[in-house]
Amino acid sequence: MKFTITREQLQEGLGAVAAAIPAKTTLPVLANVLLEATKQGIRLSGTDLDIAVSTTVPAEVDAEGAVTLPAKKLVDIARELPAGPVRFAAAGEARVSIECGRSKFKLLGLPREEFPSFPAVKFDGAWKAAAGVVHKLVGHVAFAASTEESRPILNGVLWELRPDRMRMVATNGHRLAKMDVPAKGGSTADLIVPPKALEQIRRLFAAEDAIEVAKSDNHIGFRAGGTLVFSRLIEGPYPNYEQVIPRENDKAATVDKAAMAAALRRMSVVASDQTHRIRLAFAGGAVKFSVQTPDLGEAQDELPVTYEGEPLEIGFNAMYLLEILKYMPTDEVRLTFKAPERASTVEPVGWNDPASYMALVMPLRLVD
Amino acid sequence: MTAKIAVLAPRVADQIAAGEVVERPASVVKELVENALDAGAGAIRVAIENGGRTLIRVSDDGDGMGREDAELALARHATSKIRDPADLIGVATFGFRGEALPAIASVARFELETSPDGRAGTRIGVVGGKRDAVADVVRQRGTTVTVRALFFNTPARRKFLRAQATETRAVVEVLTVLALTRPDVAFTLTSDDRSLIDVPPAAGQLERVRALWGAGLADTLLPVAHCEGPLEVRGFAQRPAQARPAGRKGYVFVRGRPIRDPFILRAGEAGYRSTIAPGDRPSLILFLDLPGDAVDVNVHPAKLEVRFREKFFVEQVVEEAVRRALGPLAAAAPLGVGGLGPGIGGAWADVGAVAPGGPPGELFPREPLTPDTRPPAPLLQVFDTYLLFQTDSGVAIVDQHSAHERVLYETVMRQLSGDGAPAQRLLLPLTVEFTPPELDAIETQRELLRRVGYEIEPFSGRTVVVHTAPNPHPRFDAARCLQELVADLAGGRFGGWANRLERFAATFACRAAIKAGQRLELEEMRELVGRLLTATLPAHDVHGRPTIVQLPKEELERRFGRS
Repeated sequence: MKFTITREQLQEGLGAVAAAIPAKTTLPVLANVLLEATKQGIRLSGTDLDIAVSTTVPAEVDAEGAVTLPAKKLVDIARELPAGPVRFAAAGEARVSIECGRSKFKLLGLPREEFPSFPAVKFDGAWKAAAGVVHKLVGHVAFAASTEESRPILNGVLWELRPDRMRMVATNGHRLAKMDVPAKGGSTADLIVPPKALEQIRRLFAAEDAIEVAKSDNHIGFRAGGTLVFSRLIEGPYPNYEQVIPRENDKAATVDKAAMAAALRRMSVVASDQTHRIRLAFAGGAVKFSVQTPDLGEAQDELPVTYEGEPLEIGFNAMYLLEILKYMPTDEVRLTFKAPERASTVEPVGWNDPASYMALVMPLRLVD
Repeated sequence: MTAKIAVLAPRVADQIAAGEVVERPASVVKELVENALDAGAGAIRVAIENGGRTLIRVSDDGDGMGREDAELALARHATSKIRDPADLIGVATFGFRGEALPAIASVARFELETSPDGRAGTRIGVVGGKRDAVADVVRQRGTTVTVRALFFNTPARRKFLRAQATETRAVVEVLTVLALTRPDVAFTLTSDDRSLIDVPPAAGQLERVRALWGAGLADTLLPVAHCEGPLEVRGFAQRPAQARPAGRKGYVFVRGRPIRDPFILRAGEAGYRSTIAPGDRPSLILFLDLPGDAVDVNVHPAKLEVRFREKFFVEQVVEEAVRRALGPLAAAAPLGVGGLGPGIGGAWADVGAVAPGGPPGELFPREPLTPDTRPPAPLLQVFDTYLLFQTDSGVAIVDQHSAHERVLYETVMRQLSGDGAPAQRLLLPLTVEFTPPELDAIETQRELLRRVGYEIEPFSGRTVVVHTAPNPHPRFDAARCLQELVADLAGGRFGGWANRLERFAATFACRAAIKAGQRLELEEMRELVGRLLTATLPAHDVHGRPTIVQLPKEELERRFGRS
């Protein structure tokens, strides 16, 4: 193996895969990046066994070959090298010399055979999605996925592909986010994707890219340009979320998002660290916030709202509300309610976008 | 017609009194030793033979008596200790009824030798209540009472004496108790020339405890010192982790007087609530001090019982006193107990070896962990189970599950007795399947389950739907916790807990707490340790296991040869 690459190309390639490489691992080869010199250039790959990322960058290849090198060290070296072409050459068994100007390194790697092979996902018959649309879906939905280990299915984001639309849904069982975007000529599939993989897509693919998406039995692959992302799929079925989305909420409040978030943050200071429970009382043209925490104290606040419906008192985890507000794309949001023990929804007001977006949050029990 | 009713002859009356005061050799020893203590003795020697049947001899170096006093002492209701009824209130001496000597003398061959000045002495012999001889003797200052052939003239009483070993043990017990009350006095007991007790004057009660029972017990004791209103409770409570189901020592003293009061001991044990396994009986040595008018000691001839004016108050303060003693981190099990590695016992012994009157503040002058202290920064998790951090006096090792259990237990107890925990309504209700006995348990505990945050409805057959769940920590698994909680409730795993609320809280805390083997983030560890240290009883989990084990700095220094 022998090739020459610019420092910038090397850094770009490493930057793409390094984030997929685990910092701590029990399998030493996973801390390495796989370098493959081919006619097309240099392919760099990294994986933590859940997600695999691989990207190809141009280089002058004199001799083909492959080796794995410690990713962290290689990134550090690439950062410190002077500007100029970097020459890589195999120097014996799993040993590589790196030269740039007068700087010389020899790095010990591991043979490429030890590197795990990538999932066999075939891109024939892959469907296409605009990266910008996927970014928007991921950016508004993935936050709601669960991080608890008790229900693995909820750790994933449901990605529904239908001929006329794409939808993503995520929930941790207490709150839920859902976004639909219209699509044309799509295929039909339900995929449950780990949020980590979706984050990689957001990071690696530019908004204007067209992403090819393909799946095998239990893996999903994304491809755009010379970069590929593979991920394990979470096995379904996903819970029937449609059924829990309230259709009969008869009370609605329209509030200023920033003002509401500010009031919630103020209340959270005094709310319990564990439950973040706060109380909202809607009546007339105002919502009153209040919080009482034994051993700590209490707080009240008030905001003007446009509220339709019977007066209502309801308890929430302030963190859930704050998080949802953070992802709401408009300055005003509309909240709907039915009763203190029923799901509430939050939607953007006046969003000039073809997508439709809503979030849902379950109340906390109030005790009087 | 002769009168049916006659006033009893004094001898008969004395024998009746003897029936109350003198029931066995041990009671003779008790009366005589108490007299010796009241006489200001600095050393008391007791010798018995044949379990006290043949011989009981009590010698002291106290005040002694002149002849006139000595002769009077043997008359009924003759005493130096009180003069008029007002003295009865708040009486400070052991004896005061003036019954003991004549009562004993009426049922034995009795001999009193006494001298007030170490020159002229008096010997008085009494046989079965009849004065025998009064003679001059030469002896040291003090008094020796010799009682031979106890109950020689009351065969019924003699028949009820137990085996020699039993009677000997009773004497040992009586003397032990007295030795505890007066650590400043030397005591010896020989039985058939064998030495059973030999304790020198001690600086404090803990030293006396060590002399009586050895370091094995003394080193497990925590000082108790608590004062509320007129009542002061001092003494020692055993570290919960070292309490055992058998062999405990339980002693209560009121105004320095040993008493039998199961209620006070029980109140002390109540202070251990939730820190020891059901069935474990901690050793308790409690000295209660309260003004003389708050307690009546004149309700039992042998003064084994007293009557408190405010019994509930006393019990409550005793419970609180014990609970407070268990609070400090020092109550955590030290490393190496059981094996009692050299030096460790010593290090802890020093902590307790102060004058028992000292306030607890002096015992732990650098008490590092006040509620507002955050655990120090180096906080290390080992084996994904234990958290290590430094305290002022050493290294504390915390079991994360036990610690969390303790924290949750206290929170849940508040929730159960208050208005309940906040509960997160579930977007996707859980359906959980149970066995019929478990369903029964859910039915009976429905209200408590609701208060901790589980709202449960029957669904169909053996399935229930869970609409709300508690959310005590981010790693909480609501379904699994509920399953285990209900299984425990149905299986009576915590059956030993008397109180239903406490049992429920303990079960829930155990099941909801983070498990061993769970890797924690630094922030989580800090939060856990912080909350543990603000708990009321941080050092013990709800099963009676320790949550904190301490590696004293002295021990480290000793092992590395730095001391």
